[in-house]
Amino acid sequence: MVNIVSRMRRLRGKLLWIRVGPGALVFPSEVSKISLQFAKRLQGGHGGARKFWREMLPRIKFRNPSIPIEVLRHTDADGPAKLDIYTTKTTSDSTAPSSSEPTHSIDVKMVNESAILQELIAKTGATVLKPTAEEEEELRDMAEFQGRSEKDRVEVRDKLMAQRREEELLRLARGEIATAS
Amino acid sequence: MAPSRSFLAPLSRITTCAISISKPDAPRLALLPLQSIRCASQKSAGTKKKKARNTYVQYDTKKAEQFSLVDAMHYIRAFEVGRDPKSSKYEMAIRLRSLKNGPVIRNRMRLPHPVKTDIRICVICPPDSKHATEARAAGAVLVGEDEVFDQVKEGIVNFDRCICHSESLQKMNKAGLGRILGPKGLMPSSKTGTVVTNVAATVKGMVGASEYREKLGVIRMPVGQLGYTPDELSTNVKAFMETLKKDIAQLSDRISKEIHEVVLSSTNSPGFSLNGEFKGPDSISTKDLSGPL
Repeated sequence: MVNIVSRMRRLRGKLLWIRVGPGALVFPSEVSKISLQFAKRLQGGHGGARKFWREMLPRIKFRNPSIPIEVLRHTDADGPAKLDIYTTKTTSDSTAPSSSEPTHSIDVKMVNESAILQELIAKTGATVLKPTAEEEEELRDMAEFQGRSEKDRVEVRDKLMAQRREEELLRLARGEIATAS
Repeated sequence: MAPSRSFLAPLSRITTCAISISKPDAPRLALLPLQSIRCASQKSAGTKKKKARNTYVQYDTKKAEQFSLVDAMHYIRAFEVGRDPKSSKYEMAIRLRSLKNGPVIRNRMRLPHPVKTDIRICVICPPDSKHATEARAAGAVLVGEDEVFDQVKEGIVNFDRCICHSESLQKMNKAGLGRILGPKGLMPSSKTGTVVTNVAATVKGMVGASEYREKLGVIRMPVGQLGYTPDELSTNVKAFMETLKKDIAQLSDRISKEIHEVVLSSTNSPGFSLNGEFKGPDSISTKDLSGPL
């Protein structure tokens, strides 16, 4: 297994990614299910939906663990790309079976992922969560670490290249390799 | 250009001995310092070899962030959003403190909630024999001889495992199923242990059992489907740990193996080191994790 410190650092980054960022929101209690439908291939404007699934749905699911989230992918490029939101009526009439008919249906063809998120928030009235002070601190730490490691990487690479160049020159001077000039 | 260089190279090798300096056509003085450098590098290359260790490197788990089962499941279910719940699995990796060259743990067990229950088993044996009824009782989907052959020849193969009773082997070989079943790896043969006399026991063993094995000091095994509730998963994990402890106890006294770290992960999520508790103080309720994904 990998050294535990670097393993934990990677894990912390991933957990921070799922807690903080676009999509960290809490739905009101009447939202009962979310279903996203799009094609497996990108042609025909299904790219935004896929990105929304990969980048934002995990955060939504993390903040709303009890709400089922379904992703259906079909093979038809001309087929629908839509986001269905199902709600249960908390008001008097509960005759309409909420599972069969979506309350809101958003067409997400040719729409990018942040626009989908905006639309979703507008339709459901979800509350967006701001990162807490600790999480902000952690984000700052991580950014700082990234900056430092980038600097170190350049330093190490320069040193290594210089070393290799020197060895190459030595070999050349000794006449061990014939392809220099 | 080229010949002059090839002429120089052998000369430089000659200069290793001290006599070469006296030679009138020896290369210039500039070569001498280079020679001394080469000697120096040869000397440094011959350092002592480090003795190889016979245990695996262990890290202090105090440095690891550890999670309760419910917390880990909360994260994992979020990482697995939108995946097919049938194809994604919870996995377990157990790190042991053990010797590199010691015996390894290897066993199979039945979990209380089997991971792969939808295995469809086909049994080839005379349809009205005792074996057929036994196989059906044990959970085989398709039992028979000629009807199975006909189905397969038409190209309908809706099973994942195929077992053949040793009495029906000849009949099956005559039917010529190898061309269809062979490429799928379903053709029964005694080499793979799928031609048996006790059909019922084999079917039972195949239905819910999973195998595990220690590799490089780590045991990995799938322990649950993604749709399991925290309680189901926890019984599975507990049963797995119990069997593992029994396996360790069965080893001879001189060999010590201890469980060092238990990690829960899934097909598309990072691994979470478990702290052995079911629920932490800040965990969400188990009801939230019990519903469909």
